[in-house]
Amino acid sequence: MRFALDDQPVDFVDGDSVAVAVVRSGQHPQHGGALCLTGDCGNCSADVDGVPFTRTCLTPARPGLRVRRHPAVGGPPLQLDAPKNPVQSPVHAGVEVHRRHVDVAVIGAGESGTAEAARLRADGREVLVLDSGNGDDVVGVYPGPLVVVRTPEHMLHVHAHEVVIATGAAEVHPVCEGNMLRGIVLAGAADLLRSKGVDLGTTVTVDIAELARFEGDDGRVSRVVFADGRTEACDTAIVASRTKAPRDLLARMVSDPNVRVVGPAAQRFDLPPAPVDGFVCPCSKITVGDLQMVWDKGFQHLELVKRAALCGTGTCQGGVCMPHLRSFVSDKQGVEAAPFTGRPASRQLTIAEAAADVFLDPFRRSALHDEHLKLGAQMDRFGGWWRPWNYGDAMREYWAVREGVSLGDVSTLGKMIVTGPDVVEALERLYPTTIADIRPGRSRYVLLLNERGHLIDDGMVCRESDDRFVLTFTSGGAAFAEAWVRDWIDTWGLDVRIMDRTISHGAINVTGPLAGALLQRVGVAEPPKFLQHRHAAVAGIDCHIMRLSFTGEASFELHHPVAHSVELWQALMEAGRDMNITPHGLQALFALRLEKGHVIVGMDTELDSTPRRLNMDWAVKMDKPDFIGRTALARTADLPDRRRLFGFTMDGPAPTEGAPIYVGDRIVGHVASTFTSPILGTAVMLGWQKHEPWADTVTIDGRPATVAHTPFYDPEGARARA
Amino acid sequence: MHAPERLDGLRVVATPDALDHAWFEGDVVVFRIAHDEVIAFGAVVAEVPDEHAIVERETAFVGWGLSYPEFDDLVARHVEWPLPTERPALAQGMAAGLPVKLWFEHDRVLLVVSSGFAHEVVERFRLPAFAESVKKQDTRRMRA
Repeated sequence: MRFALDDQPVDFVDGDSVAVAVVRSGQHPQHGGALCLTGDCGNCSADVDGVPFTRTCLTPARPGLRVRRHPAVGGPPLQLDAPKNPVQSPVHAGVEVHRRHVDVAVIGAGESGTAEAARLRADGREVLVLDSGNGDDVVGVYPGPLVVVRTPEHMLHVHAHEVVIATGAAEVHPVCEGNMLRGIVLAGAADLLRSKGVDLGTTVTVDIAELARFEGDDGRVSRVVFADGRTEACDTAIVASRTKAPRDLLARMVSDPNVRVVGPAAQRFDLPPAPVDGFVCPCSKITVGDLQMVWDKGFQHLELVKRAALCGTGTCQGGVCMPHLRSFVSDKQGVEAAPFTGRPASRQLTIAEAAADVFLDPFRRSALHDEHLKLGAQMDRFGGWWRPWNYGDAMREYWAVREGVSLGDVSTLGKMIVTGPDVVEALERLYPTTIADIRPGRSRYVLLLNERGHLIDDGMVCRESDDRFVLTFTSGGAAFAEAWVRDWIDTWGLDVRIMDRTISHGAINVTGPLAGALLQRVGVAEPPKFLQHRHAAVAGIDCHIMRLSFTGEASFELHHPVAHSVELWQALMEAGRDMNITPHGLQALFALRLEKGHVIVGMDTELDSTPRRLNMDWAVKMDKPDFIGRTALARTADLPDRRRLFGFTMDGPAPTEGAPIYVGDRIVGHVASTFTSPILGTAVMLGWQKHEPWADTVTIDGRPATVAHTPFYDPEGARARA
Repeated sequence: MHAPERLDGLRVVATPDALDHAWFEGDVVVFRIAHDEVIAFGAVVAEVPDEHAIVERETAFVGWGLSYPEFDDLVARHVEWPLPTERPALAQGMAAGLPVKLWFEHDRVLLVVSSGFAHEVVERFRLPAFAESVKKQDTRRMRA
């Protein structure tokens, strides 16, 4: 049986690992370095079937394997086989994750692990033993605790009440001149190779404490020089050591009371003599001289030496270098240096293995998603939802709103019902606007502020009865707003019931000068007036109709059970066919609202935007006894504030959003939103000035722009109220 | 394995004590999703002893009925948290990055998600899509 090593055949026998077979063939899996054949070092790692940094000592040989040695200098080439269309690449990585929930996971099936597992089982505990010898390659232990395991078939996530690390102790590698020659093996590896019938030739066994250096010819060891000056010729040098190193990398990854270490992995061993020459870190090719250099530059702590020299950050994650690095630092400092922190993964993983069962944040589809697609919508992701950006012609959609009638899918808005004896008190505290004087059937625009008085969301408060309200929030802010409202009401201990309706209610905005007429065609004889709302059947479907306006035209939001969204949408489209009804997407909506000067939270606002900075003091009633943010607003009311959101107009096309605003040569702010308004014949913008004195005339995109009052369009609001 | 069905019912928010004593008319499966909130799939009428209770029709969820072998094969490996062993039982949490509710009956598991995530369920769990013919049966009751 054969596999290929650098395209040359290598014979193997049953039970061989790739590394054993390679050594049997008289070669080295890399280009040199002592072999442990226990997975502790990276000196046998190679590219196996296209996966680089594979430990060949843990890889069973099988016919057809393609093994390729890494370059002697530098790393293996990156394989950049990018998918032809990354956007359409499958969401599934190629590797599955399986999960197990167990009482105890014991890592290591050696003496200590076996004994601990037996003791735990005798106590009636459910025990899962994981050992690389059985194909369970533990790559990390995380808080939880969670043990991540690579198996030959899949990744395995073990959720255990308790994790016992019983990984034993490793032999110490030699660090001296010549330690990267071929033909050097540790004592355990020599035993394994002999048991596999590998001819090691003439051997010399040397204790690490008595070792001076290795000498060789053509990259292969031929002599061992002892500390006492003796020299012995050999084909294979066998390194034995009286001391060992705890295999505690997994234990150093996690601080969890339910993770413990037993056996030699928990034992303290004497450190080897401080290294004076040779490669300390074969993985990253770091020499003792490199350590000395970073030490001399002031990196005089083990963690700093590690970071500066990258010793311990390679394939074996300190499996080889740790005892020598500790010895180096201890010798300098005069006190024993503790091991450095361990971090997952302890084994090299492919991206597919690391990303197995990791998914992108999901984006919801509204119930109208398929309707939008049928109408040719370009969908995009906004606020956690797939939403129509346009239906192919944003200007046509714009004019449909300004001159006719249009539908917008606003199902994504946050929606909430609140009731209870303390509901008015709760809303008075939540919002800076007066709530108590909203009459049933009326609604009010509200800001949502945090304790610092910064705007975090906005929406509407619709009063349905004395103790029942419907609240709306922005699409992107809905989830946070729900948590915000619940948290505060819980904190205050008020008697309020809260039901989130964001996903349960669809909402269609019927907007435009013909919106009222369209509603009359579908059964609403008398649509509500501006800022009124009521429940009524629309095309036979129970709706909560809210009259408001974000577009600047008469607008009716029809909130309804989401199961009826398609039916309602189709009925409205059909009823408005002779009105040339046209749905509008976000692209048109953003333009329409900008003409009205309406801010979009998160687009025009910043994280510390107060109502004053947004010119929205009118939405804050400081004469209320209290509301979230009131203290901060009162404290800062008389302080100077250089930041202010302004409306701007300029001739010609609108500049790019985000464009800097200049006064002379000085940048004083940036443009937040822009639109070339066909109905106004000018570019309209919202933008920030952050330096006083605020200028009336600025330069944007190399052209003069003028501060203008908002709303730019229909400043009296006559169209919205029509 | 079947295409999903839209789950129609009532969502109720009330005091915990009131929910403990609530009564629902219909062929009902009640999910107690919070101490103060239930979704009663199949319910058409609710009597809740709380004058401030909010009772609303709920049509936002879809469910896939899975045999236990199907569930083990397609869903369980995406669930990081311990699954309940008693039957029936409700479990809620993230699976494959999606918020799901799992209703464990004696002979099947109902995987419930908001309809806005139905397409993600199809992709992530490799479950059947929400067929058009089923989509129109929006008043169909779930049978326990």
